[in-house]
Amino acid sequence: MRFLESWVTTPLAQALGWTLLHSLWEGAIISALLGAALWATRSARARYAAACVAMLVMLGGISLTLVRMMPERVQGLPGVMTTALPPWNVPRDTGAAGPSGSRLAIVVPWLAPFWIAGVWIFALGQVAGWLWVSRLRRRGVCCAPEHWQKEIERLSARLRVSKAVQILESCLAEVPIVVGHIRPVILMPIGLLAGLPTGQIEAILLHELAHIRRYDYLVNVMQRAAECLLFYHPAVWWISRVIRAERENCCDDVAVAASGSAREYAAALAALEQRRYPDWQAAVASTGGSLVKRIRRLLYPNAASGASTPLFAAAIVITTAVVSLAAWPAKPQRPPAATQGQKSRAETHSYDNWANQEVAYIITGQERVAFKKLTTDEEREKFIEQFWERRNPHPGSPKNEFKEEHYRRIAYANQHFASKTNPGWKTDRGRIYIIYGPPDEVDAHPHGGLFDPPRSGGGVMVVSYPFEVWRYAHFQFSYGVGSVILEFADESSSGDYHMTMDLGKADSELPPGQSRLKTALKFTGDMEDRLSFTREGVQLREGSANLAPRAETSPYDRWLNEEVVYIITREERGAFLKLTTDEERNKFVEQFWERRNPNPGAPENKFKEEHYRRIAYANEHFASNTDPGWKTARGHMYILFGPPDEVDSHPDGPPYPFEEWRYKHAGELGDNVILKFIDPTRDGSYRIAPGPPVMKKSTSH
Amino acid sequence: MTNELPRPTNAELEILTVLWSIGPATVREVYNEISRRRPAQYCTVLKFMQIMAEKGLVRRDEKQRAHVYAAARRREWTQRQLAGDLMERAFSGSAKALLVGALSARKTTKAELAELRKLLDGYQKGER
Repeated sequence: MRFLESWVTTPLAQALGWTLLHSLWEGAIISALLGAALWATRSARARYAAACVAMLVMLGGISLTLVRMMPERVQGLPGVMTTALPPWNVPRDTGAAGPSGSRLAIVVPWLAPFWIAGVWIFALGQVAGWLWVSRLRRRGVCCAPEHWQKEIERLSARLRVSKAVQILESCLAEVPIVVGHIRPVILMPIGLLAGLPTGQIEAILLHELAHIRRYDYLVNVMQRAAECLLFYHPAVWWISRVIRAERENCCDDVAVAASGSAREYAAALAALEQRRYPDWQAAVASTGGSLVKRIRRLLYPNAASGASTPLFAAAIVITTAVVSLAAWPAKPQRPPAATQGQKSRAETHSYDNWANQEVAYIITGQERVAFKKLTTDEEREKFIEQFWERRNPHPGSPKNEFKEEHYRRIAYANQHFASKTNPGWKTDRGRIYIIYGPPDEVDAHPHGGLFDPPRSGGGVMVVSYPFEVWRYAHFQFSYGVGSVILEFADESSSGDYHMTMDLGKADSELPPGQSRLKTALKFTGDMEDRLSFTREGVQLREGSANLAPRAETSPYDRWLNEEVVYIITREERGAFLKLTTDEERNKFVEQFWERRNPNPGAPENKFKEEHYRRIAYANEHFASNTDPGWKTARGHMYILFGPPDEVDSHPDGPPYPFEEWRYKHAGELGDNVILKFIDPTRDGSYRIAPGPPVMKKSTSH
Repeated sequence: MTNELPRPTNAELEILTVLWSIGPATVREVYNEISRRRPAQYCTVLKFMQIMAEKGLVRRDEKQRAHVYAAARRREWTQRQLAGDLMERAFSGSAKALLVGALSARKTTKAELAELRKLLDGYQKGER
């Protein structure tokens, strides 16, 4: 189920879902056209050809739709600063659909798994049928009398059938049938050859030979495959029915033309049908009398044919049209901001919008102040012009690639990152995207999953809500270029992704306060709070993530990033990083423990002692080849929750070594928790098995 | 016993088919028919037919020097017996749509047959 849920959000599932939906109206149009064609012509061959073409167009249309729906096409946008647009793992229409369509956008991808399941079921049935049919030509058959084989050769020559055709008698066939395409066989029910007048047999054989000459067996197999792929589509079933009916009509025509007598032929068909069923197999349901229709058509070729065909087509057109119309308003449509780029700005633009929205992330403080002081619209227009010109990579040229890219990013953000409450540009992901452009790597987990911090060996955790990890290989800091990893989490699973760290993280990697990111974000006023607000969900890894690159560590770094990394709160961490002198830091550490002392004021601190005992224990027992014990998953959990009440150790698996820890009380995880650690690589580096429980906070003892 | 004839195997079905097709026949005749379609051994056919006689699938007429065998059951009976097989039913159901032939796999009702006859009769009269 979990797999299905995450699969559904892949671009393929989305594209499939929309393709299936689009195919409804496509099919409606095609059946309307086919209906018109059938109405226009009486010739069986023309009708057959029309129906076959309709089926092909149907398949072609769907393939084309699927290709167009695939995100690569959708996102092939020009961009100068986008050197390489990464394959974007973000669901295409997260929030991109209008408010009415958002629900549909969620439902539509779910069509894909149902469709795949249906195709499988139909395909299995067809394979079974095909096996049965190919057995039919070997089982319970015997050669027809010599003279009938001769007769077949004679009739084949008359119809100019190029293949050698074998005629067999079968005890299993109920009616004469053609089996096989490469080496076709006509199977006659036993006794039929002897039981009907020669003339009638000949007429029936002509019909079967006509099937062979027209490659009907092969076409029928392909037709069945099409039905199987588009099993959900009424138009396809209808088209298929038309093909089938017209195919028989075509062969009837050939047989009548070759035998010369419509009556003789019709009588043969009727006789055949009459002796077809023994008494025990009484026909149960009326079938719409297809044979009656055929014979009537043969005998009275000029009589008006039943009007049911166009009626049927009309019914299909109407139903599918209604369904598609219902879905239509939900087509992904670009939010207004996406198109507001350059064109329509003149009319609808308010200058406040310009400064506070369009360029909010890139305007400097001085520019903003200067802009606010302007009084007339002309001044403002001029300011905006200069603003862009200053950033033009080729000053003086009329084409400003910077500006184009900037509006492209806004459009992209609005299209891909909108949440229920905010347009895309206002969200955390949108902001980062607009400022820094496409990340070099996106690791999207739209349904949560295992979070494996890229740079720390331990600290794998289970995240139950959607999250994304973005990596910029060449992140432009004010002091140079470096790589940065950003995390976005969506704990409410509402599409509202938040950056999980403020730039405290970035700060720790670069001189404090010098992050360009931070200065840029400062101007967004109302958003600043949100930014610096840390979501606790992913915080678990946050401390340990920074450790690896810092080779030589001061005792304070060690304290912060190793000893208390799992229990320090974000606020404490931020405060600690702001400290400048060692005295302050010493005092902070002291207070840190005192706040957690179960007996405040007492000289001994049980909490602190226990904590260091746990670290020591973890280091002693859980170290792996690459990581000290405290850094491993088991160490992490041990330090957080203490010794488990019960340990179930399976060092030999199966399938690979695993351990189960039971806690009656596991802090924030709740009561009666079972933690499972697995070691798929068998090298002692146990990881937390994916799945619940979900860890919510790192600060608990 | 007659009601509990065993289901014929594929090889037995082939022999039965020949018997239904050409009527009561000697082993030699059956062998000739079978070998028209595929290489076969006379002894094998003989052995099979003896076993089938024991099972009751065929009746042996020993009045002549060359024993004459006949199918014990009509084709329709055996066909119904085979069709009763669950696998058979599942398979043939989806197979029908794969077949092309003069008649659709669907069944025609008695009323339709009557209509057919009327249609043909009417045509005949109109022509004359």
